[in-house]
Amino acid sequence: MIKKFTTYLTQPIGATPLINFRLIFGVLLVFSTLRFMYLGWIEDHYTQPVFHFKYWGFEFVEPVGVTAMYIIHIVMVIAAIGIIVLHGWAYRIAALTLFILFTYTELIDLTYYLNHYYFVSLMCLILCILPAQHSLINGNTQSQTPRWSILIIQIQIAFLYVYAGLAKINYTWLIEAMPLKIWLPANDQLPIIGPIFTLSFTPHLFAWIGMIYDCLIVFLLLYAPTRKIAYLSVVIFHVITGMLFQIGVFPLVMIGITTIYFSQNWHDKFLSIVQKIFFIPIVAPKNNLWTLKKQKVFLWILLPYVLFQLFFPWRFVLYKGDLFWHEQGYRFGWRVMLMEKAGTAFFYVKDGVTGREGVVDNREFLNSHQEKQMAFQPDMILQFAHFLGEHYAQKGVQKPEVRAEVYVTLNAQKSKLFVNPKVDLMKEKDTFAPKNWIIQYDEDGRVVE
Amino acid sequence: MLKMRLLSFLSLILILGAASCERTAEENDNFNRSKMLENYANNLIKPNFTDLQNSVTTLKTSISNFTQTPNETNLVSLQNEWLAAYKAWQYCNAFNFGPAGALGLTRALSEEIATFPVSETKIATAIAAPNFNDFNRDSRGFLAIEYLIFDGTNSEIVNLFNDTKRKEYLNALINHIETKVNNVVNSWNGTYYNDFVKNNGTDVGSSVSQMYNEFVRSFETIKNVKIELPFGKRPGQTQTEPHLVEAFYSGKSTEILAEHLKAIENIYFGKNKQGVQNGLSFKDYVNSVEGGKSLVSDTEAQWILVKEKFNAISRDNTLAYLIDNDAETIENFRLELQKHTRYFKSDMSSVLGIAITYSSGDGD
Repeated sequence: MIKKFTTYLTQPIGATPLINFRLIFGVLLVFSTLRFMYLGWIEDHYTQPVFHFKYWGFEFVEPVGVTAMYIIHIVMVIAAIGIIVLHGWAYRIAALTLFILFTYTELIDLTYYLNHYYFVSLMCLILCILPAQHSLINGNTQSQTPRWSILIIQIQIAFLYVYAGLAKINYTWLIEAMPLKIWLPANDQLPIIGPIFTLSFTPHLFAWIGMIYDCLIVFLLLYAPTRKIAYLSVVIFHVITGMLFQIGVFPLVMIGITTIYFSQNWHDKFLSIVQKIFFIPIVAPKNNLWTLKKQKVFLWILLPYVLFQLFFPWRFVLYKGDLFWHEQGYRFGWRVMLMEKAGTAFFYVKDGVTGREGVVDNREFLNSHQEKQMAFQPDMILQFAHFLGEHYAQKGVQKPEVRAEVYVTLNAQKSKLFVNPKVDLMKEKDTFAPKNWIIQYDEDGRVVE
Repeated sequence: MLKMRLLSFLSLILILGAASCERTAEENDNFNRSKMLENYANNLIKPNFTDLQNSVTTLKTSISNFTQTPNETNLVSLQNEWLAAYKAWQYCNAFNFGPAGALGLTRALSEEIATFPVSETKIATAIAAPNFNDFNRDSRGFLAIEYLIFDGTNSEIVNLFNDTKRKEYLNALINHIETKVNNVVNSWNGTYYNDFVKNNGTDVGSSVSQMYNEFVRSFETIKNVKIELPFGKRPGQTQTEPHLVEAFYSGKSTEILAEHLKAIENIYFGKNKQGVQNGLSFKDYVNSVEGGKSLVSDTEAQWILVKEKFNAISRDNTLAYLIDNDAETIENFRLELQKHTRYFKSDMSSVLGIAITYSSGDGD
């Protein structure tokens, strides 16, 4: 059984889907990195803020100076071109560089966490270990690659869609059509389609279509008879969400990389056309596939990776209460565009010796994006509290105690107290253990002890 | 064949959706944001800036009278004109966007003309060598003028103004304010008005988003800067610092704060300076969206408390004095402002779906 499975996985198949994937993904990364620099986000995100929210386990990651940040981004652009045109060891260095630098920039500040950035990081990681004898330059329709090298990309994209779809199967999304009821009417000024968003059933319709689309799209793309219409819906869906929501390059990314589900035949043609356009000469095929032994090593590396991707998004079931409220186990689970949440947070710093207490002006330390994100995410509230304690300790506040009074509104409901305002957050640590200082409510809005 | 099946499936969903949810007309009927923007531009922003421009002109005349003939009569009339102009500013300080906003090296209007506390030493230096191109915002603007015309007894002030350099600097200060205010008024009377009304989305950079964010910033300034700082409520402050109140030298802090609160209230209700509503407002906008009605009633109930606690502050003494002598009343007011913050800040932006930052959100 296992042997049969290994044979299936290692079976040589045409490499053009992989070559094209690297081409499309690389081009998208070049574009999005240049866009990031052009929009001035290096300064806004990395070099101007006084304080950065850290990722758990990556507290040591610090931004470098503005020039160095620009150099890093330029190197990323070069590396992204590298994964398109290089092969063999040169390719691997490019992929590794891209993975390390991209992940580094993401780890600088938790504020800017997006599922899609996480996805790009994972893709770069996968690219690091894929066999890559062939690139846009030396590959052709005869080039071969083991099946698993394409399958793993398909599986990773499937995780993204299916989990995003499963997360939408809940009462609030499907029945109440929240938060789409908030988001869609705000788009009523869009040309042509704008008026649709003022109709009361539109949010309901979009909620169901979104859920069904996310759950099924991968399977409809895999199945040859439905592929064409499925891809058409990919394009329409992402173009619409791209127009409606402020989600940057991600619609483009998804439209580009879902071509990985296309047929060998399509990829052969696509590659030939691209090579013709850029006058890339056809090189005789040189298929020296990895030995089975070497492939098995990589398959064993990928096994825990896939298991991690399968189970990690479910860790939220270990925490009691409403996931959308307490957000313990929310990230890294492909929960995208699911809720409208906002908060207002006041922090009190008390001198443990004199007893004098002051209120913090958050704007002194955080930009508006950081303040907005922090005000409804418990781990960020805790981090900011610790930062404040340490900051004011240096300013002469002795044995600082830090309390937070936070009001959070979820999906247009009345805002409620979010964390216990009596708890000294300096005494709390960010771990995987439940954060008991988050106030939880039952369905009638009563506090759950 | 399959296309047909998919199409019929989609249309089935459409029909089911349409059938199951009747249109709740008044709930979701599209709120006309352009009309709201027109109301703000025509009845609040433009007239308020024009008022400011007029009072700056009057103030300039008083300054020129006083510097030509420094005597106590001219000083007193100058002081009155200053107060009138600075009160007029309170009705503009939430409109620091567009022509009044920060862009590149241009600082926001509030930074240019209304920063406090001023630095007495920097003003002394500036009198010797005036320079408006540096970043010493604490040596210029309305509050630098205030320092020059209110610090000391009136006869002392008149005596100090025998100094030509001091006269020149006072004139330079009002010219600086006049230039900045004129620029803003000219833009609003020119092309910016149309840009503002046309940009009627809710994304970042839209007029609604810009105006909303500045409205919240202005509101938060009352608590964070005008009350908490002088009140010694910032962590690390070990005592009150009454000299940090707005308009410390004239002692008119409370009177000015009353205007600021009124200005905030007018913006929320979409009312002009006379308290009359002639068009759609933020309140109407909130009322038109999901979850809006209960937010409006919470907001208004809390606002009544804010005003009540503000009115409890004595008008017989200066705010600087009361901070040390009637802490309880000040704290009550501060607390109600704090309770109010979430309604204006996160609750309102959330139900309206107003974008706050440029960065991308989590897409799918």
